[in-house]
Amino acid sequence: MHSFSKNFVKGIVRANPTFILLLGLCPTLAVSTSLDNAVGMTAAFLFVLLSSNIIISLIRNYVPDRVRIPIFIVIIATLVTIVDLMLQGFVPALSKSLGMYIPLIVVNCIILGRAEAFASKNGISDSIADALGMGVGFGLAILLISFIRQLLGTGELDLFGRSLFTIPGLSDNPAAIFMLPMGAFFVIGTLLALFRWMGVSTGE
Amino acid sequence: MRNKKSDFFPVVFLTLIVIISVVALTLTDGITKDKIALAKKEAIAETLATLFPEMNDFTIDEESGLYTPLADGEKLGHAFMATATGYGGAIDILIGLKPDATLRGIKIISQQETPGLGAKIVEGSFLAQFKGLSVDEVDLSADGGKVDAITGATISSAAVVKGVKEEILKKLETLNTEGGRD
Repeated sequence: MHSFSKNFVKGIVRANPTFILLLGLCPTLAVSTSLDNAVGMTAAFLFVLLSSNIIISLIRNYVPDRVRIPIFIVIIATLVTIVDLMLQGFVPALSKSLGMYIPLIVVNCIILGRAEAFASKNGISDSIADALGMGVGFGLAILLISFIRQLLGTGELDLFGRSLFTIPGLSDNPAAIFMLPMGAFFVIGTLLALFRWMGVSTGE
Repeated sequence: MRNKKSDFFPVVFLTLIVIISVVALTLTDGITKDKIALAKKEAIAETLATLFPEMNDFTIDEESGLYTPLADGEKLGHAFMATATGYGGAIDILIGLKPDATLRGIKIISQQETPGLGAKIVEGSFLAQFKGLSVDEVDLSADGGKVDAITGATISSAAVVKGVKEEILKKLETLNTEGGRD
């Protein structure tokens, strides 16, 4: 049980996929324009990462070394397509707002990275812990980034159609730059610098 | 034993994985196919209803892409999609025409314009300007038409206007030739 909690916690701070490992930045930059998108992306991402880590950990002793990457990719692509179809069928609104970023989970290097670096070498319970930790770490990171971008970029914060709060003055004349790709780079760069300055760095 | 097989085993294993994937995807497709088709039809009905609120049914002519919204069997006009080329990519626009060929209204279905600038084309204040216009009046004010461009988003505004105008002209041609045959 000790290794379970250790593998879970590591993904959240010490080996946070976004802020420390700097993996999967492309979807993080692209989707972090609203809290809705961040929540939806995290759910889809967590499902794919958890399933792929479980499957790959289960078959890890049989996977021939030479074809391991194609095998991982086929498994991940299958899972992503399942998520994509399910979202289109059951939550079309979310599927529409996440758009092409669902299919792009296939090439999210966090998932392939965890398959290659962790699940293919560790047992199933550790792999589950790793997936949950990495998923939560990714989720917290993308939520933090989209919180800042939505707040500054639109002057108001809303979640699934419910308005949380509005900054008077800013909502009439929002800093639209934060909704643009360059705003994403500003926010993520500033956060990275902040975390380094606070002394959070890779302990591995 | 394993060593002797080692040239062959990876091929078998990869094939096996692919077969399992195909089965899993076929099953998922079977579960979701009807739901997705239904969701798409509902989405169309929902967007048509924003232009034709009194609509309670609609027909689709797949070949020409014309939707005919109906209220208790009576035709309310025509609706169809247009694609304009904006600043950030394709802009999909739903156009609603009254039976007299003036505009009932337009609605942006999807766009990738700059948030905060070009993306304002989805706002009611811009779209409302199209209501009641005849096709000749669909132009930016600067070009003698009746649509005011959004400040800071001239390219996106012009793209919408151009896309709408061209598609209406094209569809009116089809409608007129079809009308002649009736």
